[in-house]
Amino acid sequence: MNEMAKPPVPDLGLTERYPDIGRGPVDTAIYHEPAVYAKELEAILRPSWYMIGRVEQIPRAGDFFTCDLPTFGYELLICRDRQGDVNGFHNVCTHRGNVAEHRPDGHSAGLFTCRFHGWSFDLEGNLKRIRDEEGFFGCDKKKMGLRRIATGVWQGFIFVCPAEEPPQSLEEWLGEQGADTADYPWGQCTQSYQWECEIACNWKLVNDSPAEVYHIPVLHPNSAAPTMMASGNPMGRLLDVRIRGNHRTNSHYSVAGEPKPVQKLAYFHAAAAQNVSGAARDYPPGINPTRSPFWTVDLIMFFPTLSFTLSAGMYTAHQVWPLGPNRSLYRQRVFVQPARTAAERFGQENTMVEFRDVVMEDFSTLERIQRALDSGQIREFHYHDHELALRHQHHVVTEILAAYDRDQAVA
Amino acid sequence: MSETDARLPDGFADLERFVPEWVCPDAVARMAKRQSSTIETLREFYDTMLPRGEAVLGCLREHQLGDLTPPVENLLRLMLMLAEVAPAVEWYGDPRVYDGFPVERVRYLRQISDTDAQPLAGEAA
Repeated sequence: MNEMAKPPVPDLGLTERYPDIGRGPVDTAIYHEPAVYAKELEAILRPSWYMIGRVEQIPRAGDFFTCDLPTFGYELLICRDRQGDVNGFHNVCTHRGNVAEHRPDGHSAGLFTCRFHGWSFDLEGNLKRIRDEEGFFGCDKKKMGLRRIATGVWQGFIFVCPAEEPPQSLEEWLGEQGADTADYPWGQCTQSYQWECEIACNWKLVNDSPAEVYHIPVLHPNSAAPTMMASGNPMGRLLDVRIRGNHRTNSHYSVAGEPKPVQKLAYFHAAAAQNVSGAARDYPPGINPTRSPFWTVDLIMFFPTLSFTLSAGMYTAHQVWPLGPNRSLYRQRVFVQPARTAAERFGQENTMVEFRDVVMEDFSTLERIQRALDSGQIREFHYHDHELALRHQHHVVTEILAAYDRDQAVA
Repeated sequence: MSETDARLPDGFADLERFVPEWVCPDAVARMAKRQSSTIETLREFYDTMLPRGEAVLGCLREHQLGDLTPPVENLLRLMLMLAEVAPAVEWYGDPRVYDGFPVERVRYLRQISDTDAQPLAGEAA
């Protein structure tokens, strides 16, 4: 109990554990140059995997949903077939290119019928029916099915890879960090809110935003700061940064502060949906890896664009969709456990509103930084020891682009 | 009798002046209501609701989602509105978030129903 009463101040010294990453200022060119973005699209973004939904959205054969991949301009159709497999297709009718399925979600008795000329495709994507087929000039239906997109499932999350031939399987891409976080009860949080917002900044700046907590006492003085920098941690330092290949996890220090009045109502009456936690329970090794009693939240980043803010009873998925060198679409999905009573429903709402508002506190700053980058007013960034995640991202991007340049030079 | 005519469960007559104005059908409408209100108006709602929060939640915990009467639905939606209003009053002193990002730029893609029963893990949605 004494240990809990006098928490230790988290130490400096994170960066020196990763000498390859360096410690000097970094060049900001990768945050704004159009030529860099064009390379990133091919070298980083297209070969990666993207989380687009959960299996609970399509529990039965014939259930489907449609979605987009904004970075690539792709429309997708995801469905469950009669073998129970999750299939992903480009949602493009092979006749003239309209969407093969126009509804956002639903159930199909076995066929998806294009609303343009009525061509029909089955749950495996096969072209089953051409209206007035005799009027065509030898269409080979066997070769005109919906085009597949590489699709995989991890812990109930549905992922796709936009590359024609993914250089890594989903498991390879998730790597050690995927293996180390796999046994968290991801599937218990069956309810989700999702919202999006376009931000005039580079995609890596959106990643940077939650990836350091050095800014929390200053930019989030009334919302996030009171718990994250409570007694013993006035600078709001992290517990730990754990780098695994291109991915990384930040563990956040927290001491329960005095909740605000409405939070107090939510915590007491609807604890299950709240972003508060005691010590780690039987979590897999990748979650609260230091097993600190002062842990509340991990930020689990799967490079390049997916991260989870994860606590004991709920989690939030942050997905960034790059739209250009200085434009991004941010999508947040807050996952909470199901509520039984009307009181518990209030707890879910409290959590959703808190996560939405806290994240939006960062967006004005992101757009200001981008203006300074685009105008050439800031040419290098200096990172604090506890901004290691940002330095790591810069390092990873720079390394991948250098390798891409070498490959292009050889080719 | 329409839902909003149903007012509130017995014992909450003091909150009926917020029906139907503060009873919104979903999170999108609640966010818009907060953004289109002055902080003084939000504070008045908050200051009236907060001291009744314990009693309201005491009532709401007796009611299962998917089986709510219209008066209980109204009471729940007042409480959901309190969740939306809380950061404006407690954190910002302003309908907008700290540092002023225009909240109107947010678009909801998926919401949790205010009133439907929610499946457990493993149950069909």
